[in-house]
Parts: sequence; structure tokens; C-alpha cells
Amino acid sequence: MPPKSNAPKTTAAGFIKAIESGSKHLLIKRFTLRYPEQKLKFVGDGYQFDPKRAVGIAGLRGRHILNHDKCTGCQLCAITCEGIAEAIGMVKVDEQWKHNKKGIMPQIDYGKCVFCGLCVDACPFYALFMTNDYELAAYTKEHLIYTPAQLAIKPKYNGDVEIKIDDHGATHHA
Amino acid sequence: MPDLEDRIKESQRMGIQITKESEDDRLMTLSVGPQHPGSGHFRFVVKLDGDYIVHCDPDPGYVHRGEEKMCEYRNFIQNIPHLERPVIHDSTNITYSYSLAVEELTGIQVPRRGQFIRAIASELNRQIYTLYWLAIYGIFLGHSTMFMWPTGDRELFIDLMEALTGARVTHAFNIPGGVRNDIPNGFKDRCLRQISYYEKRLKEYEDIFYNNPLVRQRTEGVGILTKEDAIGLGVTGSVLRASGVPYDIRKAEPYDIYNEIDFKVQYMQTGDSFARAYVPFLDMRESCHIVRQLLDKMPESGEVRAKLQANPRGPPGEAYRRVESGRGALGYYIISDGSPKPYRVKISVGSFRNMLALPHLLVGAKMGDMPVIYWALNYWPVEADR
Repeated sequence: MPPKSNAPKTTAAGFIKAIESGSKHLLIKRFTLRYPEQKLKFVGDGYQFDPKRAVGIAGLRGRHILNHDKCTGCQLCAITCEGIAEAIGMVKVDEQWKHNKKGIMPQIDYGKCVFCGLCVDACPFYALFMTNDYELAAYTKEHLIYTPAQLAIKPKYNGDVEIKIDDHGATHHA
Repeated sequence: MPDLEDRIKESQRMGIQITKESEDDRLMTLSVGPQHPGSGHFRFVVKLDGDYIVHCDPDPGYVHRGEEKMCEYRNFIQNIPHLERPVIHDSTNITYSYSLAVEELTGIQVPRRGQFIRAIASELNRQIYTLYWLAIYGIFLGHSTMFMWPTGDRELFIDLMEALTGARVTHAFNIPGGVRNDIPNGFKDRCLRQISYYEKRLKEYEDIFYNNPLVRQRTEGVGILTKEDAIGLGVTGSVLRASGVPYDIRKAEPYDIYNEIDFKVQYMQTGDSFARAYVPFLDMRESCHIVRQLLDKMPESGEVRAKLQANPRGPPGEAYRRVESGRGALGYYIISDGSPKPYRVKISVGSFRNMLALPHLLVGAKMGDMPVIYWALNYWPVEADR
């Protein structure tokens, strides 16, 4: 004899209950985000890292931002990425900096980047952070390679829709 | 592969007469997979006698990626992003046991607040994985509402994980020494509100799916795995608990702060496909209690991550640590030779061990019951192949 089940018993009334719980949702507002028109609001300005306390600051891991006046060309980000995605390469920049004698800065290939953010953890000079920009689609592979000049530009992201969860359900509010 | 004698005996058990001569003509060989419908990067060859399966030969390996070998060429930190690729839906749990093993090797102590945040991320990720699994189980049974609802509710949890970790699916959040970042402002309130909403939804899931007489008829008494067979085959996780063995790694060998958390191990007695589908659901409900307790007991402030040297390394030695993932015990066995890179990494996954029960359950079952039995095993082909 098979062991007795400890699941709740069900009867023909289960059909009615199932239909009832499904049909209730005809009246409840759906919570699908209409994406290109509506964009979600994120916590903070993107993932950052504080090397002094050795801990990250919560935020979306989107496209990077590079502070040219802090990058020393130490290559630690590229060394970290070597075993992960090999997305970061060091390239020569035209500008001359006192703190960057070699004049090299990271260039990131977003066709390869996995957005793990470990390059940000590796940077000891507060030079490389991540931003909320995640819309990186391009027509060619070459356009996915961001030069140090492109990485320095602060992206404009204006997501203002927040998800509101209460007892009646989940909805989006601008 | 069992020999002809066995197959003949197996068929006679079901009251079908097979002789050596007629056997090849009578049986139909059918390859299920490796394309997605019904199997997902995984193939099993079944031999059918009419509608009954008389032989099943699983053929994994289509998504073998060499994760274990890849680990040997990267240092302990660089291994994290690629190790979560086998189960991207459960990426916090698959890096959890790796981090625990590396911490044991290198002697890193995780701060108390870090342990709590880790456990919260792990429990939320368990919900994400189980909802995804439940969605596919629903569509396997032809219940398309059960595909839509968990997929929609999973989105809310993904948003929550996005606020916490910064990534939607592959979080790369657990790291040897703790977690990558602290909890953002307002996370606790948002998490509690979501959990209470979600518990209401779980009641609706029960009404529309688990207590639905149609689903019960489809799953109850199908593919029964007895307690003795479950222990003998070495299955783990929800499959083992559905067969009446209350075994959970979180209780059996508590890691981090799980020994301070009060929760029950959810298990069922019957060992059929319904029990295997119901145990993850009970786990989700229990997981909500765990998240509440974790948020309540978490220290208000403190370090979340131990300071590491640039290339963490430990003395030569070995470590084996495991956690309870969405699919059962997930262990890492790491040997270190004292260098910053591991000498050998062995990943022991729950999916592979649950797959061993598949031929055992399918032989004697009807072909129509195949999806019900197969997906209730909580099998994730990519994880099993590593």
C-alpha cells in the first residue's frame, strides 16, 4: 500500500475555486512595463566601488564611466578582465596627464563584456565606475567598442517609473 | 543498457508478450531532444512498446562547457562570473558554495552582516529559480496560466535582485569574503512588502494549480519513487524530500547563519510526480519565512565584506563545502597547491544526480506521462553537463 499523501485534499469544488482565482484577475490592473515609453527607476547612479573600505555601492551594473583625471593607466582593470571576458584593452590617448605618464587608458568592447563589474572592484583610484545606461545596441560590432573618450561621457538615463506593490497587486507609477 | 532478457522481463511485468524475434519490429525507438521541446539541451532515447516506455537511455553532454577545467586557469576571484553560467537562474546559490569552499581554503572570515545579506540573496534567488521551474512545469502540463503567473511574479523578484546586486540574472554577488555591496536604502521595506504580496499569490497558485483536480489527476500516482529507491539512487533536493526523507543541507550541515534561523524542512510521503512538484512550492513558502527572519535579525550596520589581498591564496590543501540550491545539494571540492589559482575544482551538482532517477521512473510509464515525470525531477541540463 502506498504511503498516505499529506497534501491538502481536493474535490470537484476545486474546479470552481480554480476558475474563480483566475477570473479575479480580469479586474486587476496588469503590471507589464511598456518599455520604450516607460523606463524603470534604479537605485543610485550605478555600481561604484570604494577601494578604501573595500566594499561596493549598490547600483545597476550598466555601461562604464571613466574619469580621465583619475586614471593612471595601471592596467589593473585589464588584468582582471583577462580571465573573465577579455573585453578591456589599454589604448594610447592623445592627452598628456601628469598622473598618467604612459598615456594609456582602458577601452571596453561591449560585444564581450559580461557586466560583472569586477574591473570596478579592481580600480584603486576611483577612476572606473558603472552607470545606469544599459541601452547599448549598435548596428556593427565596431560600434560596440567604446574608446576612452566615449567612456568619459556621462550617459543620460531618465527612468522615472517605480513599481508599487501593495495588497491589491503590483502597478507601475511614474 | 539492459540486455534483451531484462527488457522482455520488464514487458512481461506489464502484461505484454515479447519474444526475441518480434522484439525489434515491435519496439519503436524515439529520440526526445536535444532540441528544446520537452527536454532542453538534453536527449534521452526511449524505446516504446505501444504507449509504454520499456527502455530509457539518457544522453547528457550537449552543453558541456568545461567549467571545471576553466577554473584551473583563473584565480579565485576571476572564477566567479563563469561559474554562475551553468545555472543563470540560480546564480547566487551556485557561487555560494564556491565562496564557502574558498573561504575554508584561505581562512577568510566573513563579517556577520555579510553572512545575512548572502543568505537573503540566496533565498530570493531560490524563489526566482523555483518560479522559473514552476512556469515550465505548468506549460509542460498544458496549463498556460501557470506559465504566465510565475513568469510575471519572477519579474518582481528580478527587480528586487537588481536593486540589491546591480544585475538582473547573473548577479556575481557572492565573493570569497562576503558580498560585493551593502543593501541599498529602502531595500528592507520593499522586500517585506513584496514577500507579503507574494505569499498571497502563493495561495492563488495553490487554488489554480496544485488543488486543481485536473492537475492532480495528471500528476498523482505518476512515476512513484519509493523512499528506499530514492536513497539508493542518491537523488537529492526536492526529489529526495518528496519521497519522505526530510533532508535539507540548510538543516543537516548549516552554513553561515542558517543554524540561527528557525524553519521546517518541507517533505512529502508519496514520492509521485505531484509530491515532487509540491515540495518546491512548500519550499518557496518556507523561504518567505526565512527572508522575514533574516531581515529581522540582520545587524543594523557593519562590514559586509572581508578585506582581501589582491590575489587571495591559502596553504596547500583541500576543501569541500555544499549548500542547498534550488535543485538540491550543490557542492564544490577544491584542491589548492598554494598558488592563487585552484589546482582542481570539482562541482557536484544536484541535477546530475536527479537525472539518474529518470530511467528508473520512465520504464513502465506511458509516453504521455513523460513530461510530467521528467520536469518534476527538477533537472537542469546545463548544470548537469557543467
